[in-house]
Amino acid sequence: MSPRGATVEFRDVTKRYEGASGARGAVQALTFTVPAGEICVLVGPSGCGKTTTLKMTNRLIEPTSGAILIDGSDATTGDPIALRRRIGYVIQHVGLFPHQTIAENIATVPKLLGWPAARIRDRVAELIELVGLDPAYAARYPAQLSGGERQRVGVARALAAEPPLMLVDEPFGAVDPIVRERLQDEFRRLHQRLGMTVIFVTHDIDEAIKMGDRVAVMRAGTLVQYAPPAELLEQPADDFVARFVGADRGLKRLALIAVGDLSLRDAALAREGDPVARGDGYVLLLDSGRRPIGWVNRARPELGPDPSSPIVTRETRVKDALSALLATGVAMAVVVDADGGYVGTIGLDDITGLLTAQR
Amino acid sequence: MTPGEPLVRWDWIASHLDEIVLRLGEHLLLTGLAVLVGFAIAFALAMAALRWPRTYAAATWATGILYTIPSLALFALLIPFTGLTLLTAEIGLVGYTLLILLRNIVGGIRSVPPEATDAAAGMGYTAAQTLWRVQLPLALPVIIAGIRVATITTIGLVTVTALIGQGGLGYFILLGIQRFFSTPLLVGAVLSVALAVAADALLVLAQRALTPWARPRP
Repeated sequence: MSPRGATVEFRDVTKRYEGASGARGAVQALTFTVPAGEICVLVGPSGCGKTTTLKMTNRLIEPTSGAILIDGSDATTGDPIALRRRIGYVIQHVGLFPHQTIAENIATVPKLLGWPAARIRDRVAELIELVGLDPAYAARYPAQLSGGERQRVGVARALAAEPPLMLVDEPFGAVDPIVRERLQDEFRRLHQRLGMTVIFVTHDIDEAIKMGDRVAVMRAGTLVQYAPPAELLEQPADDFVARFVGADRGLKRLALIAVGDLSLRDAALAREGDPVARGDGYVLLLDSGRRPIGWVNRARPELGPDPSSPIVTRETRVKDALSALLATGVAMAVVVDADGGYVGTIGLDDITGLLTAQR
Repeated sequence: MTPGEPLVRWDWIASHLDEIVLRLGEHLLLTGLAVLVGFAIAFALAMAALRWPRTYAAATWATGILYTIPSLALFALLIPFTGLTLLTAEIGLVGYTLLILLRNIVGGIRSVPPEATDAAAGMGYTAAQTLWRVQLPLALPVIIAGIRVATITTIGLVTVTALIGQGGLGYFILLGIQRFFSTPLLVGAVLSVALAVAADALLVLAQRALTPWARPRP
């Protein structure tokens, strides 16, 4: 089950509200394309029109003029009810139906589409597993779940009829930062697996940079910049975008790069039990499975291995590796593979070098 | 009360069991009919209020006026038009249920979390599907709370309808007053209260069964 994503094309889309043209939520002449299978994040200060743009896509708000093409056909004409059943929808505060069980909630759209009961049952079980919930949750009510679990159910419900397009409005706003981080990672993994197109609204630039294949920065109803996150951080289109992405955009860019993207350094190695030759510098002691034990000072090997060096993987974000290094106060992190075996090392100066090279 | 007469004459009760059951049945019927018809009218008014919000003020004003008319006066006013009939009794009884039922139906629907209706619309529920599958089920606890109050109030009021010859437990109360005989008076009053308590308990059970999701759980 891998629903192909839909291409979404906004053509000169305008929404005017009665009165002033600069009204909250109004948008002017929006033109941009979300390529099939990508996550497009709409980001901007409140009132910039990002939620209006999202809701025009499934016509909860009707555009004043312009066209929104989903796989080439204009969504602004035809039956809005049928359109909404083809588009996944996740909102802030989740909006699960409190009077329905988790299974009933997830089955919402398949039921509307008239799927046979057996197919719905199988699909619900599949989705509960897909979003990482215990199958026993099927019979529970939303009030019995934690905020993070409810959010997962919200995503499962939106995915139920395999929509090629999913609209997501500040989905992780109401959960605590640790859970949010985990839900974001899960959502990206899910997206990688399923390949649907996603339009994602947030006011949090960090979330936009983390989640988006492309980020659309909006201000007062207009699109200021539409670019992949790295480009947004490297070349903000104007002062507004530069201020919005923040003075720490260099650091934020580190969140987009994985340790494996850098060239790793080799360290001097020694096997546990082997004699360490006296001399200068440090040698990394490995156990029989090539797992790092700690650094041995060649000048004073009798002190034994020092294990305080942070351990990272190729997939670790450079930003996280940097903060681990800063937290432990050492200059070198050890990179290991999935089994914990030594791969190489990465130094503080490799990372700071990256920051200066960017300028 | 007649001097020397005991407060309760059990032999009278034993010899009038058939009639007691009959009056109890009448009482139940009068109450059930009033609440049922009242609910249907209040529901229609509530739907109008949700679609055209301006009608709500007018509807609460009108049903509020009805609610304040003393029941005896209302029956007296109606008798020239509808006579000593079931219709007269029910017009009064139904009128008194409207305000409570209307307020609770509208209030219940308005208290539904907006994100639930937003999600319903966004997933492709029609307005009617949203009403029947999301708003009304979620409003049920508040609506049933209204039905409980309306039912208890009506059970009390039905004792008055004996005055216009419509039977019910009020018949015994009237009999007791007319004959200075405490036994039927007490039978009517005690059974009326017991009926109200039982009906309320039944409605609470019905609400629990209908809204399993609202039950606090570990």
